[in-house]
Amino acid sequence: MNKSFRQSMAWLHTWTGLLLGWLLVAIFITGTSAYFREEITLWMQPEVHDSTLQPGTVELAMAALNAKAPDAKSWDINLPGDRQTAVELRWQPAKQPENGGRRRGEQMLMDADSGEVVAPRATRGGNFFYRFHFELYGIDRLWARLLVCLATMFMLIAIISGVITHKKIFKDFFTFRPGKGQRSWLDAHNATAVLALPYHFMITYSGLLLFMTLIMPWGIDAAYENDRRAFFSEVFSRGEDAAQPGSPGQMVAVGPLIEQTETRFGKPVERIQITNPNRDNAQITLRVNRDPAVTDRQRGGDPTQVFQGNTGELIDTRIPANDPVSPGWRIYNFFTSVHMARFADPLTRWLFFLFGIAGSAMTVTGMLLWVSKRTQQLRRDQQPDRALKMVNGLNMASITGLMLAIAAYFLANRLLPATLAAREDREIQVFFIIWLVSLVHGLLRPNRHGWIEQVAAASLLWLAIPVVNIFTTASHLFTPLAWQHAAIASFDLVCLTLAALGGYTLWRLQRKPLPAKARRARAPRRANTASEQPAGESP
Amino acid sequence: MTMAPPLFLALALAYAGLTSLSLAMKRHHDQVMGRKLQPERVRYYRWPGWLLLALSLWVTLTVWPLGLALFMAVGLVAIAGLPLVFLLPYRARLAGRLAVALPVLAMLTWSTVALA
Repeated sequence: MNKSFRQSMAWLHTWTGLLLGWLLVAIFITGTSAYFREEITLWMQPEVHDSTLQPGTVELAMAALNAKAPDAKSWDINLPGDRQTAVELRWQPAKQPENGGRRRGEQMLMDADSGEVVAPRATRGGNFFYRFHFELYGIDRLWARLLVCLATMFMLIAIISGVITHKKIFKDFFTFRPGKGQRSWLDAHNATAVLALPYHFMITYSGLLLFMTLIMPWGIDAAYENDRRAFFSEVFSRGEDAAQPGSPGQMVAVGPLIEQTETRFGKPVERIQITNPNRDNAQITLRVNRDPAVTDRQRGGDPTQVFQGNTGELIDTRIPANDPVSPGWRIYNFFTSVHMARFADPLTRWLFFLFGIAGSAMTVTGMLLWVSKRTQQLRRDQQPDRALKMVNGLNMASITGLMLAIAAYFLANRLLPATLAAREDREIQVFFIIWLVSLVHGLLRPNRHGWIEQVAAASLLWLAIPVVNIFTTASHLFTPLAWQHAAIASFDLVCLTLAALGGYTLWRLQRKPLPAKARRARAPRRANTASEQPAGESP
Repeated sequence: MTMAPPLFLALALAYAGLTSLSLAMKRHHDQVMGRKLQPERVRYYRWPGWLLLALSLWVTLTVWPLGLALFMAVGLVAIAGLPLVFLLPYRARLAGRLAVALPVLAMLTWSTVALA
């Protein structure tokens, strides 16, 4: 009974893993990059790099909004921080445009030094990967989310069945035996899976929680009588709409209010919101970043002070972290917070990035193991059958192909003309064209040569990014500007690291002839020797 | 970056703890120490291993609030364990030396930063 149970779990793990593995690899890799989505967007808009927060920046921002939308319903000013160099200005126009307009209103970027409005090149930046992570691209949003949700459930199944399948989970806890083909890939898969098991479980489970209203809507439908909007506005409220605009009036200077708030909370003000600006009922809301408390409120959780706009009188001081939070919310907040890491400072963010890499490594080694195991089971003179070749080719597309496509996306950002029409879509087209090319290539050459070629191409492209940067921007690695904002230099350094890793993999792939090759050297050359061991079989 | 020194220490302690736990296992004891593990000596490695991991958790608790600290401690074990797993077959002795050197280095870094 016990043995057959383990066998059936192994079967479940192998086949659920294979079926959605390719999708999971893409979800893991894009999700890992999404921890840095704002940094990626920043890097992809070099026009805003030369901008640093100054004492007079807030006054400049107010002046810019006054010039652009003096009679708006509200203004929002997001000041530069670790993840952004320019000032983000948003406003809700007094009259909604005919077609309803964007819910978040209008937006522009301002240089923090000069106060000039900057119009950076159009790009989807890191948001492309962030969106791809949970709703893919080009498919109906609902279906895409359902598909990703299904993959997440399979992932949870794979985690549980994988633990049951693993016979010597404690004995082999630290074991890696290199140079043994399938055995080595199994060890690598086990190590990346078991060591980070609690992380994998939490990231998968929290992923499902984020889809909660999508997969289990019935409770909400019953309680809210099919008015799901009522549920969302009650549970995930975005705050009430501003009061009706009053009569025109003067506003006090914001500077002293900022000083007051910064003294109160001991942190710099990051966001300024003004409702009914230039009216006698204007309200000025100042927010600082909250402490990284993962169980607190998700939305509107920042320490805040609200001032009366015409008198500068303090109306309200809110520290939502001190509000009571129900246990259910604490759990929900905990899981979703650690999934999205919105609270994280740069250092914590790097750790999350490393966790994501560990997760990606687990899915990747699992996929390679699948092929490696079946290749090793082939008899000496047997060629891999069509299915095995196809899996190998698809592995290539989902692993090296995706890395190629991401690098190409970044290169397109630097090389496409800044004023190109529908530029942001062109970047995405480059991404998918390269991914498709790698898929075709992988299916045509599902063997070691194919892997070597794709790894080589990927290493070259990643190396090319910082190099192309030197010729196309004024914030490359040899300028002080890049180092002024750690995020910009770090991006290039990550590219170089990936290129180096690719180079190392290539060296290992080239250096050790694989068993199949050795056999071929001894035996007379067969007619069709195109198919050898997969790259998986490197030492 | 006042978080960096305690974080480095937590990571170093996690690495040392895991190495100590691996030394309580025959295969890895062989690899690192070059001699057989006496069964009665297992506890000399196992208990300090758990203790070091507990210390690592304690350090993360000084950096982050409880919930996040637990999550990060778990993640740090993964980040510390992966290099260990891949060092053991190639550079086992180095893996052992790092387990001593890293926590010492981390504490030195922290004290220099604290004094400066």
